[in-house]
Amino acid sequence: MSAVISIKNLTKKFRGSDGTLIHALENINLTIEEGEFVSLIGPSGCGKSTLLRIMADLIQPTSGSITVNKKTAAQARKDREYGFVFQSSTLYDWRTVIKNVQLPLEIMKWPKEKRDERAREMLGLVELGEFEDKYPWQLSGGMQQRVSIARALAFEPNILLMDEPFGALDEMTRERMNNELLRIWTAIPHMTVVFVTHSIAEAVYLSDHVVVLSPRPGRLAEIIDVNLPRPRGPETRDHEDYFRLTSQVRHALRTGIRDEVME
Amino acid sequence: MVGNARKSSSAFARAENPPVDFGLLRRILYVALLIVLLILLWEGLKAFAASNDYALHIGDATVDLTIFNNMQLPHLSDIVKAFAEPAQRNGPPLYLTLVENAWFTLQSAVGGFLIGGFFGFLLAVLFAHSRLMQGGCLPFVVASQTVPLIALAPMIVIWFSRAGNSALSIPVIAAYLTFFPVTIYTLRGLTSVPTTAMELMQSYAANQWEIFTKLRLPNALPQLFTALKISATASVVGAIIGELPSGFQNGLGVTILNFSRYYNQSPPRLWATIAAAGLVGILFFLVIVLIERLVVRWQREDSE
Ligand SMILES: Nc1ncnc2c1ncn2[C@@H]1O[C@H](COP(=O)(O)OP(=O)(O)OP(=O)(O)O)[C@@H](O)[C@H]1O
Ligand SMILES: [Mg+2]
Repeated sequence: MSAVISIKNLTKKFRGSDGTLIHALENINLTIEEGEFVSLIGPSGCGKSTLLRIMADLIQPTSGSITVNKKTAAQARKDREYGFVFQSSTLYDWRTVIKNVQLPLEIMKWPKEKRDERAREMLGLVELGEFEDKYPWQLSGGMQQRVSIARALAFEPNILLMDEPFGALDEMTRERMNNELLRIWTAIPHMTVVFVTHSIAEAVYLSDHVVVLSPRPGRLAEIIDVNLPRPRGPETRDHEDYFRLTSQVRHALRTGIRDEVME
Repeated sequence: MVGNARKSSSAFARAENPPVDFGLLRRILYVALLIVLLILLWEGLKAFAASNDYALHIGDATVDLTIFNNMQLPHLSDIVKAFAEPAQRNGPPLYLTLVENAWFTLQSAVGGFLIGGFFGFLLAVLFAHSRLMQGGCLPFVVASQTVPLIALAPMIVIWFSRAGNSALSIPVIAAYLTFFPVTIYTLRGLTSVPTTAMELMQSYAANQWEIFTKLRLPNALPQLFTALKISATASVVGAIIGELPSGFQNGLGVTILNFSRYYNQSPPRLWATIAAAGLVGILFFLVIVLIERLVVRWQREDSE
């Protein structure tokens, strides 16, 4: 296995609108191997979205380095290695559902027929086939988020960065989407997923590694390896290790907070 | 809940309840109601003023009501009648004269609207892509609108007649009023793109052209149409103002000037001409609304 994303001594400070410095991330060291499914978990405001944005070269780190497939993040972005699912669905209001899914394919110059075919296939995957001609406002929040997942997967990116993609979904749909995501991830060889979530259960269920961040400034509190057997399914949640791992993540989250209080 | 039971036989239900656009019907009703209210107000005030001999005594103070007499504010029926009567002895009825002149004005207005819209849009695109241009030029664009058009119009007429193209001066004067809203609103629309919407484009490594055509421009369309609606009516005003110093003998502006000169002979004529000018503006406005409906189709029905 080879490292896909390699982050060294990464720090990010924001200049707030009132001039004060916001210390978002502090000395992050993290290596993600090809084909891995890695979750980022941590309290609100600890810098999860920021870390994901830095990985995607949407913002620049204040210091430290990041390498993606032995390239700079900027080069990886130009090579269209990233699929990004934002915390909010970020659909374009003026495009119908199917046109939204086709957006990356248009930019990547796919021929029209292949675009149509792929977009339909992806919408079928997220079970929104009948809604292809609707506009985003005609869909519920959860449906919009599923469209944005279909859009991110449409061009089979090497690296899928997902920022709380299922946060807006009910528990049932969420579990179904988790299984869908695992199925898609398995079906696309070598696809690496970095997945931000607030749900401990979701993180453990999906991931190879759960990266726990401490409260602001975000620091690596702990990396928990999840060696639950794959393919995962309903029986995974009954696995004896599943309970051990979820409580381990919970513990790491708490420790992170306690450290903060002691400082 | 009787209606619900019928839903199962949907073809039947559909035949029974043809789709009626109640929204449109209601809107027409409101407009009609408003017009009736305005008529009542107009004529009511006149009747009230007449019954008080155009002076209202409140204690020691006297309020002059002569503005409501037939000279200053003719009866609506007289204004309507004026449309049918010839403005000159043995001439055509006034409405024909007005249609002819309104057509002339509308042409100038549309010309000005197109010129102003085009340059306004171009400026907005320029400003959206260059902070330097925006910082350097936008203040002048804003300042340009504080110069009274009435003062500027004769100069534009002189410039264009010197250049041997005096027919262009009226549309250019109209364009002067129309480009501004287009620039301001379009700039706003082009630059008010949500951060994540822009980041999405960046994550695809989209180029500037793709970002413009697939994100900035569609994002700006609703605001662009708001500007075009303002510009449509402003272009009619601009054309009328432009006609005044132009030396042309056609157009509603010239007609207004003529009838105001002979106002004492027949006040309703001027009022009829003003009404015609208003109608031209409304007509142009409605055309833009129609185009907007066709282009901006993604908005919620209730978002207006
Ligand atoms: N563009 C920005 N300018 C200034 N401060 C920012 C900016 N983006 C993020 N921050 C700050 O950085 C910190 C981390 O933000 P971030 O969005 O990464 O948190 P998060 O872990 O994703 O939180 P959540 O779970 O609520 O989404 C926050 O304190 C936030 O206010
Ligand atoms: Mg976040």
